[in-house]
Amino acid sequence: MATTGSPEYRLLGTKIPYIEGPLKVTGRAEYTDDIQRPGMLVGRLLRSPWAHARLRSIDVTEARALPGVFAVLTGEKYPTPFGVLPITHDETAIAVDKVRYIGDIVAAVAASDERTAEAALAKIRIDVEVLPDYSDPRDGTGPVKEPIHARGLLGSNVQKEVVQHFGDVDAAFAQAAHHVRVRGNFAGVTHAFTEPLATIAEATPDGRLTVWSATQVPHYLHRSLSEVLGIPMHRIRVIKPEVGGGFGGKSDPLPHEIVCAALALETGRPVKILVDREDVFYTNHGRHPTQNDVRIATDARGQILAYDIEALIDGGAWSSFGTVTTYYNGVLSMGPYRVPNFRYRGRRVYTTKPPSGAMRAHGGTNIRYSVEVALDQLAERIGIDPFDLRDQNALPPNSTTVNEFRITSTSFRKCLAASREKSGWDQKFRKLPYGRGIGLGCGFYISGSNSPIHFTPKMPQSTVHLKVDMDGGIAVHSMQADIGQGSNTLLAVIIAEVLGVDLERVHVQRVDSDVSPIDLGSYSSRVTFMMGNAARAAAEELRDKLLEAASTLLSLPVSSLVVAHERFQSKADPKVGVSFLEALHTAMERVGALTASGAYNSPAMGGTFKGARAGTAPAYSFAAYVAEVDVDVETGAYRAVKVWAAFDCGRALNRLAVEGQIEGSIHMGLGQVMGESMNYRGTRLLNPSLLEYKIPMPQQMPEVEILLVGDDDPEGPFGAKEAGEGPLIAILPAVGNALYDAVGVRFTDLPITPDRVLKGIDLRRKEGRPWKGA
Amino acid sequence: MHLDPFELHRPASVDDVVRLSRDLAGGFDYLAGGTDLLPNYKMHLNLKPHLVALEDVAELQGHTLARLGAMARLADLETDGALTAAYPSLGEAVREVATPLVRASGTVGGNLLVETRCFFFNQSYFWRASLGFCLKADGDRCHVVPQKEKCYATFSGDLAPALMVVDAEVEVAGPDGRRRMPLHELYDLGGDGIRRTHLAPGELVVAVHLPEASRGRPGTYLKLRVRPSYDFPELGVAASGVFEGRRVRSLRLAVGGADPYPRRFDALTDSLVDTELTDERLQEFSARVERAVRPVHNTFLLPDYRRRMVSVYVRRALTRLRESAAS
Amino acid sequence: MPSPGPLRFQLNGHPVEVPAESARILLDLVREDLHLTGTKRGCDLGTCGCCTVLLDGRPTLSCLTLARLVEGRSVTTIEGVSPRQGLSRVQQAFVDHGATQCGFCTPGFIVTATALLRDHAHPSKEEIERAISGNLCRCTGYTKIVEAIQSASREGV
Repeated sequence: MATTGSPEYRLLGTKIPYIEGPLKVTGRAEYTDDIQRPGMLVGRLLRSPWAHARLRSIDVTEARALPGVFAVLTGEKYPTPFGVLPITHDETAIAVDKVRYIGDIVAAVAASDERTAEAALAKIRIDVEVLPDYSDPRDGTGPVKEPIHARGLLGSNVQKEVVQHFGDVDAAFAQAAHHVRVRGNFAGVTHAFTEPLATIAEATPDGRLTVWSATQVPHYLHRSLSEVLGIPMHRIRVIKPEVGGGFGGKSDPLPHEIVCAALALETGRPVKILVDREDVFYTNHGRHPTQNDVRIATDARGQILAYDIEALIDGGAWSSFGTVTTYYNGVLSMGPYRVPNFRYRGRRVYTTKPPSGAMRAHGGTNIRYSVEVALDQLAERIGIDPFDLRDQNALPPNSTTVNEFRITSTSFRKCLAASREKSGWDQKFRKLPYGRGIGLGCGFYISGSNSPIHFTPKMPQSTVHLKVDMDGGIAVHSMQADIGQGSNTLLAVIIAEVLGVDLERVHVQRVDSDVSPIDLGSYSSRVTFMMGNAARAAAEELRDKLLEAASTLLSLPVSSLVVAHERFQSKADPKVGVSFLEALHTAMERVGALTASGAYNSPAMGGTFKGARAGTAPAYSFAAYVAEVDVDVETGAYRAVKVWAAFDCGRALNRLAVEGQIEGSIHMGLGQVMGESMNYRGTRLLNPSLLEYKIPMPQQMPEVEILLVGDDDPEGPFGAKEAGEGPLIAILPAVGNALYDAVGVRFTDLPITPDRVLKGIDLRRKEGRPWKGA
Repeated sequence: MHLDPFELHRPASVDDVVRLSRDLAGGFDYLAGGTDLLPNYKMHLNLKPHLVALEDVAELQGHTLARLGAMARLADLETDGALTAAYPSLGEAVREVATPLVRASGTVGGNLLVETRCFFFNQSYFWRASLGFCLKADGDRCHVVPQKEKCYATFSGDLAPALMVVDAEVEVAGPDGRRRMPLHELYDLGGDGIRRTHLAPGELVVAVHLPEASRGRPGTYLKLRVRPSYDFPELGVAASGVFEGRRVRSLRLAVGGADPYPRRFDALTDSLVDTELTDERLQEFSARVERAVRPVHNTFLLPDYRRRMVSVYVRRALTRLRESAAS
Repeated sequence: MPSPGPLRFQLNGHPVEVPAESARILLDLVREDLHLTGTKRGCDLGTCGCCTVLLDGRPTLSCLTLARLVEGRSVTTIEGVSPRQGLSRVQQAFVDHGATQCGFCTPGFIVTATALLRDHAHPSKEEIERAISGNLCRCTGYTKIVEAIQSASREGV
């Protein structure tokens, strides 16, 4: 049901259904847990009931003696630390000396069946010395009695501190006409993908290890397996089956994946580990609980003079992506605006809670909420419209930020104009009745990290291989990871577009490290931009070979030929041409099956100061969302009625997928606003279940009007930029600011539950400050 | 996630059920729709060696306008337009229970006797072992209100308040025969989150009887929860009554989701009968109900907020009844 | 515990006979013993709806159903609601509207939607939202799922 796109392209820009859709709607798509291997054992994990304890001894004798038990593993067998960032390897597959949160893995069992495995876990005896636990990052900023990790700065639990200062913030504040301060407190949220974590591993007598896993970054898993197990990468094969959602939660190499492989090595049998839903909550790696302190200064007209920002970030038990998080909370607070003076201090502090990590729009969400609320407040104080304030501060295209980010394309001002007009903003803002409100929130996000985590910059960030034989089917190999966002489809579409062939000719192969060339996977919203460019390059190489053959067949110069649908033909006379297959078979005459390879690496960019590369990206997406909300002022309950989502992803290559990402992002962002939160009592997670972790229901979804206004990006594939993470950011402040317009209360903390709304309304009434006459 | 082994019994008559209950004395649970019991069993909450499935007991099945079998499925009630029109409070409550998938299996009896809920109870064995077991399962203390006597788990069924306000009666059968009592007397207001009904050991709910006198009487059920689906009630207010203009002819009010048991407020509502329910009196009345319930911090929303919502919901429920008389 | 005899029921229109102990859960039986892996395990506690099957035609949580209690009854899984060739109308609508993203919740939604459209030829948007409000989707925000079901209903089932 393709709709009409741009006349320049046959497929790109239309709505293209996901190529694996038919398999998914029939239950035929194969996820990790659907795979059965002969003789497969059940792997189970023993989790720590203590938040922080030193392991004195672990006795597995009884467990091992149980009939049906094939292996019991404890931490000392594979103690090599790992972690997604090479500079912060602080995790082990199984706890070695200490456990650091309730849910940390203490031991693992492989057994013939689930019941035997559980019986074995129950027979493991652990002797510990319970240590002080740390639930609040504020308690870990200075020296502590028992640092959670030896690497904490100066005997504290601080994992990472970032201090940056550009320009002269104090001078800017001294001359400012207006300034505001917003302090915000953000509960942790988690990905809650529907497919629980799952891994299968099998060690075979030929000395190889095969691992199937629900991962969004197969390559980093591959590396970590090699490092921890001490097996060269070429003897390990990582396969990514269909993955049931990730949102960042399957981007770290996770301990259960390594444990599963270790159990397979230990037993010589295939082993499957399914992580049950509760344990998925403990594995977490979700959005960091954060405490922000944001000060913004402007001149009399609302021109931004300076940001002064502090962030205290609750890291949980491990580093994970935390060093990046600590940078991002600063550097991603500025764009889409020009900020001439900027000071930031960010600290990420270990706590004895489930680890935080990367979640969709990582590092750019909580701080953005505080900034956008502050800007809304500034606009009110100055007496200008929130749209005008943002518009006059917009970063221009082809500019450089104060921290030396290279901004190429930006259609941010077009986003503002579109959402302002379509939402009827000028007729509604501050004019709707009490309880009804409208708000603006904006954002920007990296379109692929310029600084890949695990690679020398000289190697490509993405590679795509093509092979086409005489049948005319085109096999596509790449380690990019489709986790539901539609990257397989995009890969196929780009190749079909360049070659002029029908989509059904293109067969995207399952990710398999034996045959897929490396792409760094699905994180940092990098796939469309990086894989897209690599795919285009590969397809163009193949196209050129085919054009060459067509040129021979037609006795016309290549320069006189064009790619048409399933055909190569003369520019001058479309009737003169050869079919795709004719050209292919001619091209194959001397070499057999054709192959082609394309790669992408982002250009050099960023400053030379420490941490300069954090947040640099070959392009950025931009967003301006308007939300309209309706508040029940007696109960504090509210809903978002409608959202106008103006988004700049450059050229939308698959409109269906872009819309899906925006709608899904709005749903996920609304969840964080309306009620999703990891609720702790001390270090104990109170709600590790999908019943008590409040993902919004269909009835809570607003009507969403999507406004795609981006101009082509000069470096993106066919002008495209990311649309997977950036679309989440703006909805949160749009709703927060709409609530202010509705009831006159500034909500600085998330989530905004009905009781908080009511408390705010009460307070305003008590202070005798009526709003909209109420 | 597997279940620990148990023996499954499938009696075909109420007499067989009662006989089994005597034979298995205490070492069993009744299995109705399973949507409450089986998650609890998966979390190793108060496992018993025997399950007595009520599925095959013909007498417990089905419903009419006068009688709801204990095994009548909530989805069947929900889609019976005559029933939901005859008893609007029931109609509004049943469609609010959990999710459509839960209502497909969930039953009337199961919802009336749904296990009380608490953050410290509805957790896995691992979770509870980690904290230390509580009074309600495997332990001897309460984590909500620290003491060792009383359980504060919250009654979380939607049907009970909605049925109480239409003066429904419950029929139970047990080793000592059958008896029938007003539904609101099924619940033990002197009990707690563990012992919350007056059912004798082995007694089962056979049916709910709906009096003809209440048929067609205006009624409503308002449910407080975070999401419009899934969530158990953080508060449920049911009301039924007849107004003439603002004058109260009859009135019943019941509240669930706030205490360990659902309850009616007959003394309070009786005081309104034959009076004009002005806005001021309504305000005052709602405040009195609010003062009478005592939610604790064991569900998602904070207890102060839940308590405050009592008066808002009571006011809204009664306003709705009053307006339906006016229209 | 005495082990009960083989369990007999209709699965996707065909009689099956399979050993099942009392505590066996229908989801486990379907996935692990009968190797029909289209029915997904998302939470195991009746919340996500990924394990939805039709039990005597009614959408039911297979993770909260004892296998022994389907004795003599009819169970239809996603494999059973899928035609032998091609796709059903609602399946095609899910594909066309991009109502699948990661696809893990999709079989449950298809089973639920199939029953909805069987019983209500033209459900309203509100009725669709209510009907699917026991199936959790984390990717789509439900927008395209609702659109797909609306579109399938307009075409008639």
